[in-house]
Amino acid sequence: MGAFCAAAHAQVATLEVRVAQRDGQPLPGAVVTVERESAPLGPAPPLKAIMDQVNLAFAPDVLVIPVHSSVQFPNSDAVGHQVYSFSSARQFQLPLYRGKPYPPVQFDQPGVVTLGCNIHDNMLAYVIVTAAPFFGRTDAQGKWLAAEVPEGRYRVRVWHPLLNESREVEGVAEVGGGHATLELELSNSLRPAPLGTRPHSWDY
Amino acid sequence: MSRAPHAISIRGALMACAGLVATPAFSGNWELSLDLRAVSSDGRDSFLDNGQGKLRFDDDDDGLRLGRLRAAWNQPLGETFSAHIEASTWDDKDKNPIDLTEAWLEWRPYPRAGWRTRVRLGAFYPPMSLESRAIGWESPYTITPTTISSWIGEEIRTIGLEAQVDWLGTRLGHDFDFQLTGAVFGWNDPAGTMLAMHGFALHDRQTTLFGRVGELQTNLELAKKELFHEIDGRPGFYVGAQARYLDRAILNVLHYDNRADPAAPAPEIRDYAWETSFDAAALRIETANEWTFLVQALEGTTAIDPFMWLQWDFDSQSVLVAKRWGRHLVGAHYDEFAIDFQQDFLMPGGETGKAWALAYSYDTGEHWRVALEWLRVESDVPARTVFLGESAFATESKLELSVRYSLSGSF
Repeated sequence: MGAFCAAAHAQVATLEVRVAQRDGQPLPGAVVTVERESAPLGPAPPLKAIMDQVNLAFAPDVLVIPVHSSVQFPNSDAVGHQVYSFSSARQFQLPLYRGKPYPPVQFDQPGVVTLGCNIHDNMLAYVIVTAAPFFGRTDAQGKWLAAEVPEGRYRVRVWHPLLNESREVEGVAEVGGGHATLELELSNSLRPAPLGTRPHSWDY
Repeated sequence: MSRAPHAISIRGALMACAGLVATPAFSGNWELSLDLRAVSSDGRDSFLDNGQGKLRFDDDDDGLRLGRLRAAWNQPLGETFSAHIEASTWDDKDKNPIDLTEAWLEWRPYPRAGWRTRVRLGAFYPPMSLESRAIGWESPYTITPTTISSWIGEEIRTIGLEAQVDWLGTRLGHDFDFQLTGAVFGWNDPAGTMLAMHGFALHDRQTTLFGRVGELQTNLELAKKELFHEIDGRPGFYVGAQARYLDRAILNVLHYDNRADPAAPAPEIRDYAWETSFDAAALRIETANEWTFLVQALEGTTAIDPFMWLQWDFDSQSVLVAKRWGRHLVGAHYDEFAIDFQQDFLMPGGETGKAWALAYSYDTGEHWRVALEWLRVESDVPARTVFLGESAFATESKLELSVRYSLSGSF
């Protein structure tokens, strides 16, 4: 859950974001993006990331990358997969393959990219492409920490595949010296999580 | 599934070095399984032995039996085509020692903008059983499926062309997916023969494409029980729809009509084209703590017109509940079924009945599955009295242990 370290700044601080569900329980795995409202800092430098396919599932289930990053989609299974996305942020398809036959896919537009496999409909994952300078995912305690954040007023946005909110989950954090904390709570319960535990032999 | 990640990564690296843009993933997968049974049954003479019993194994079948020996092969053909073949043997009195239950060619082009098309050509089951979801069209919940699935496995097969259109809403940020299915088929004109001859039954014995339902019929007045023949040259059709809520709930409806000409005879199989149509609906709900609830309903009619109109109306309903704890699964279903013979002033026909099944299974996830099932069927069949001199009402029960060993791999 790497917080990206922005350009050195005279006044830096840590920013801690805590995300809670409607019932107060922490929300792990939530994607947090943080952008400065005044004098935007620009996106983090692009990454070379990997979205693997293991045991008929994408790994990880959610991948957060800065805009202009590239993602390799290896298939570590013995069976072929055919990966596709028709999300507006990035549409692509990789013809049926095993191993690592294709060059990485480039993601140049911020947004949520939903991935599927045309052979195995239960395979579902997301690539979150962000223009934010700071981003990451909350830990098991629903917490995410960014270090060395230059001072300023920041817009904090939260995304999770199971969100069931009528409006964006976001807040504003004032970062000065020291440690800033922002707590966000969902208004609605999460949507049901994918089951994912059924034996593969049940998908005839 | 055997896996060789090391070999694959080396191969991938070689391909990358060679500058190949696309590696075809065209090697096929095979599956092999042997299912042995230990049976204790007090069933009447089985329908497979030309009796009026409702069970696959009757009271003459106690002991060690072959449940099913199955071989399947799935072969990708190019990027969007694949072929699938299912062969099985059951070691009973079928026509062929080993035979096919399904064989199809599928075309699955890449989805576009949330829509996907799938086309199948060959012999396969219509998409109506949310119960027979495991490989080989088996139920993962019990050894013996519900009355409805038993009947579909016995009499119904699509031999033709099926097209499906999916709207993949969950890939567009919605909670629902929708699917429409349509098919045109032939070679299923005798469907309905078994409902008239022995009514509904509860069994996992799928009828093979070139075989027949059990033992040869020696009564030359009666049909040969070969169900996959084209008799009248008129294609049948079905249309279906499915709605899925995430991966938690599926609602499936299907209307089937084989459009048979009920007056068309088929002397080579001592049968007629049975004009069979039905509606089927099923709802399956799965919860995060591994409960499954499945409700199914079937209602239809079948008729022949050899010298006068003879019509059987049939229906069945079932409720299935299953709970999984890791590798352990307990499943149970309750079924009701009825056949109403419209011309019973001529001869006895029709039936009513109900059934209960309770099963426990342990699946190692790799090769072995052990299952134990208790099944009880109560049925009232007036024909038993008139034709067999038996009591019309029968209670049949069976205790069955299944041990299955499976292997799979790719080549």
